Amino acid sequence: MNRGLKGLESKVLDRGQCAACGACLSLCPYLRSWRGRAVKLHDCDLSEGRCFSFCPRSEVDLDALHRSVFGKGYEDIETGPVRRVVMAKAPALEFRDKAQNGGVVSALMAMAIDEGRIQAAILTERDAELLPQGRIAETKEEVLTCAGSSYVTGYTLEALNRGPWQGEERIGVVGLPCQVLALARMKASPLEKRTPVDRVDLVVGLFCTWALDYRPFAGFLKKRFGNTPIHKLDITPPPDRLLHVTVGNEVHQIPLDEIRGFIRPSCQVCLDMTSELSDLSVGTVEGEDGWNTVIVRTERGEDLLRQAESKGVLETRAYPEDKWAHLKAASILKKQRGLKALKDVQDKYVTLPQKAIDSLMKEVAP
Amino acid sequence: MALAKDPFNVIIGGVGGQGNVLASQILGQMLVARGYVITIGETYGASQRGGAVMSHLRLSEKAQFSPLIPEGRCDLLVSLEPVEALRIIEFYGHPGVMTLINTRPIFPMDVISGNASYPEISKVISKIQSLSRKTWAINATEIALQMGDPIFSNMAMLGALSATNTLPVDRRGFEETIKELLPLHKLSDNLNAFDEGSKAVQGDCEGRLNGLKQDI
Amino acid sequence: MSLVAQDAPGKTILLMGNEAIARGALEAGVKVCAAYPGNPSSEIIGSLSSAAEAMDLHVEWSVNEKVAMEVVAAASFAGLRGLCSMKQNGLNVAADFLLNLNLSGTQGGLVVVVADDPGGISSTNEEDSRIFAKIGDLPLLEPATFQEAKDMTKWAFSLSEDLGLPVMVRSVTRVSHARGNVRLDKLPRPIAQARFDISRPRLAFPPFPSHKTLHQKLERAKIFAESSPYNFYRGPEKPELLLITSGSGWMYSLEAVINLGVQDRVGLLKLGTTWPLPANLVLEHLKQAETIVFVEEVDPFLENNVKELFAQHCMDLGLKRFYGKASGTIPSAGEITPEIVTSALQKMLNVRYQPRPEDYASKAHEAASELVPARALGFCAGCPHRATYWAVKTALALDGREGFVLGDIGCYGLGMGPSGFYQMKTIHAMGSGAGLAAGFGQLGRFGLTQPVLAVCGDSTFYHAAMPALVNARYNGSHFVLLLLDNSATAMTGFQPHPGTGRTATGKEAPVLDLKVICESLGAIVQLTDPFDLAATTDAMLKFLQDSEGVKVLILKRECALVRSKKQKKLFEVEVDQERCLGETCGCNRLCTRVFKCPGLYWDRTTGKACIDEAICTGCGVCAEICPASAIQKEVA
Repeated sequence: MNRGLKGLESKVLDRGQCAACGACLSLCPYLRSWRGRAVKLHDCDLSEGRCFSFCPRSEVDLDALHRSVFGKGYEDIETGPVRRVVMAKAPALEFRDKAQNGGVVSALMAMAIDEGRIQAAILTERDAELLPQGRIAETKEEVLTCAGSSYVTGYTLEALNRGPWQGEERIGVVGLPCQVLALARMKASPLEKRTPVDRVDLVVGLFCTWALDYRPFAGFLKKRFGNTPIHKLDITPPPDRLLHVTVGNEVHQIPLDEIRGFIRPSCQVCLDMTSELSDLSVGTVEGEDGWNTVIVRTERGEDLLRQAESKGVLETRAYPEDKWAHLKAASILKKQRGLKALKDVQDKYVTLPQKAIDSLMKEVAP
Repeated sequence: MALAKDPFNVIIGGVGGQGNVLASQILGQMLVARGYVITIGETYGASQRGGAVMSHLRLSEKAQFSPLIPEGRCDLLVSLEPVEALRIIEFYGHPGVMTLINTRPIFPMDVISGNASYPEISKVISKIQSLSRKTWAINATEIALQMGDPIFSNMAMLGALSATNTLPVDRRGFEETIKELLPLHKLSDNLNAFDEGSKAVQGDCEGRLNGLKQDI
Repeated sequence: MSLVAQDAPGKTILLMGNEAIARGALEAGVKVCAAYPGNPSSEIIGSLSSAAEAMDLHVEWSVNEKVAMEVVAAASFAGLRGLCSMKQNGLNVAADFLLNLNLSGTQGGLVVVVADDPGGISSTNEEDSRIFAKIGDLPLLEPATFQEAKDMTKWAFSLSEDLGLPVMVRSVTRVSHARGNVRLDKLPRPIAQARFDISRPRLAFPPFPSHKTLHQKLERAKIFAESSPYNFYRGPEKPELLLITSGSGWMYSLEAVINLGVQDRVGLLKLGTTWPLPANLVLEHLKQAETIVFVEEVDPFLENNVKELFAQHCMDLGLKRFYGKASGTIPSAGEITPEIVTSALQKMLNVRYQPRPEDYASKAHEAASELVPARALGFCAGCPHRATYWAVKTALALDGREGFVLGDIGCYGLGMGPSGFYQMKTIHAMGSGAGLAAGFGQLGRFGLTQPVLAVCGDSTFYHAAMPALVNARYNGSHFVLLLLDNSATAMTGFQPHPGTGRTATGKEAPVLDLKVICESLGAIVQLTDPFDLAATTDAMLKFLQDSEGVKVLILKRECALVRSKKQKKLFEVEVDQERCLGETCGCNRLCTRVFKCPGLYWDRTTGKACIDEAICTGCGVCAEICPASAIQKEVA
């Protein structure tokens, strides 16, 4: 089997399984993104390459990957390794204005830069047409320009590959589960990296149920709202199932069913709702608009959170048991859906211990 | 010098851009001045852009022959490039052919792109030898590069040709023809290249005879 | 001193067929010469222009062949002798004028030289121009040797004046581009006095009476044909096989007969005047043979005309067998070769012939198959077109809507092959790229979502693309025209054109600026340097995003061969062997495997790319594409 660009094309790109994480882009002259599309510029005939090796949808051994990040295999099957889970929010208004919910991610990244833990953060920036792109932020102001979710994936990790880099920067990355998975693959890859991934010292994951494909979704919004810039997108939790679109000053509501058709096919087979391979993961809190869930997974993550708490950058609270149970159930449900979608697929992209599969499928769906 | 046969057929072959056309023109003019009836046929145009090219030169004392040498009738092959010699010999060679080869390869697109390999020069030369009555091999491009421009390799080959004594051509005839055909300021460089080519062949000592004793 | 204008009557020199034609025109006292470059005809005007000053001629490179013929016709109407030359496609372009000129008649001798390219070695098509002589009722001459090329051209002028008609001289690659002995004659220096006799207007109209007049002239031409020394016979009185041939077929047939040793069995009837036929001569020889074979290229022109003549007189001639293209004895397409003629005669006469021992032939074949790699055509090192097509490939891939490039004729025509990354998707006639684009650019209303691009060279633009551009603007078509300005008519030998500021004879000429012309036509125009890949790709992408109107991107950079003649390299280029990533992930030999400039080669032993100093022209473009910045360029 080809494990280079040809393999990437046949196993991932041509099957529509691309997660748009960007890990394969700008590693070489053959692949790069352009306006929300991954473009192959020339053919490559290498039998083995980094594009395939880094891809989160090519050939993933979850057990081995977890071992490489945490030192133990794929055991924490509910939501990945959990050292601590809290509710958190950033008291400072500047983080909560544009940000999603509690503004935790922006606050943490800004602090990490200010405190010299990292010199640069790779975030996702949206332009006026919602086109997401990886962006290197080196100051608090730059971090803030990337605040807010768009529910649309962009090739964020391409920014890690492309730079420009001086060569010494410690780097932090904020990413969706697929992007965090790709980062773990990048770090674990036996191939010569030729990217600064070994200087990535902080990985902040985001929660994600699914993401939208940029081009068709943008086309849909343009048809609905013309060229007026979109200020904010929000998906309200069940039972509403609505997409709130803030256009100019108005907030419009669109039933989620209308946009489900734009969900990327690769999301159907995703087995990760909470970015399990991160240092810490951030998401919403059920029923609490101004707060974030923060799951701490590693010592580094713990260290960061403690610093944020002690400096008053973040206010934290204990996590309510019922909400934690609901969160875990939601995470398991996503995995069950993914496994079911994978059942009849030949040549699956992911392998995990049979024990884990059996456990997951045994859980009663809520 | 009487012609070994009538017509006596010469091919100057190589890659487009090496100057085989000019070389054949100069050679032809030299021979016309000596009273021979000459026909030269060329492959021109698109093939110049890196393609294989040939000049067919027919010498006769009696008649004007066609601009294309028939199959298997090349008596003397002057090849500006090694593998081109084999390509030409495949169709035009015969056991009595004499071959003068420039040993410096020009890589075709498939080879420079790494999709094919260029054969070992020594293997190519020895194959040419096995298909010829007599073979001379010199690095005319190196001579030209020493002079500062690869463009002189064809003149070096003409000098080499004169030293093989296979055709009634000499330095004086070359000089007169160059004066007629090219701007004067190029004269000394071209004569220089001619002389270096002559020397190179003389260094090769009468060429390498092989065992074939076929009459031409 | 011009080779063709030597004042040395009686001297024998080596001349190319085209040079011999030029010399023939000079010996006839020609005064006005015009052409558009086209292989294999370009050297005719090329050598006449070198003689222009010495011989007091007007010689020009016209923008296209129709205009060239009109320029020369003017000279003829004013009582001067004129010559225009072209390749087969050029005759197609000039045909409308020619097929009116035959009716209006001519005054001063007017010779139309057409050089066909059998096999289409340097053409987009293969075509036999002789049919135009028949359609146009014009005398047609076919020189078979270099001496004939000169002598027949010279005669053509006086024949033209005797008849009051243009005379067509048809040559082919193997006569035009081959060289042979030519004995020179005197060079007259006529005093020209141009005057258009307006009491005798030159009108094709009304066509019906002029057509009748034309036929009468052709009847008179027959008389000249019958007595022409360019038609002759060699062989036994009653040959076993009568071989009728013209043009290049003559020398091949003569040599084949000698090689096979069948001089006493085969009669060679060589015709130099092939329209109208020297009927009596042909019938005389048809009477003496039962089996006839025709050797000609490209179409069965002689074959069909002789068969027509035979049909007219068959009651007197009896049954015959005819062989040629119709019977498959001579292949119906491609150029003829000595082998084709030899093998045809071998079969028909049942002669054994082996040019060389069988075992030698197979040994040679084996060696070649084992050791000789194929040699594909490609752009020269440093050619701006390679950079242009690289930018096109990148821009179209990024754009992602399956955009395509409609092609045209010139060096950049190689864009249809690997050297141009297969970007060019059509190729037809001069200016057809822009013409097709004007059509594709209308199809948006029928659902075409693909971006439309056309590519066209500077010389091609003046020749034929301008009307297409006018059409596009006028009829509201939308496309991007990539105008490749390398400051030369490169493929045919770097002839000047209206954008270069010089004429055929080296005189200074006003520059008809491409940007100004396109802007005045209302196109959106931008200028870019193809060697600046980033800027060029950006410019293309920008134009691709805009779906309205006609955009012209002028890619201006001198042809590599022209530049190398003037000065040395732009840059000294070297590959840093330490930095070169070679076959590893991140590069995979982008410069040698994909970009494929012959100035670079892949060294299998070291696993690195290298510059071939004998070929690299120092353009520096490869330094821009190297992902490891391993290719270093330093201003030379």
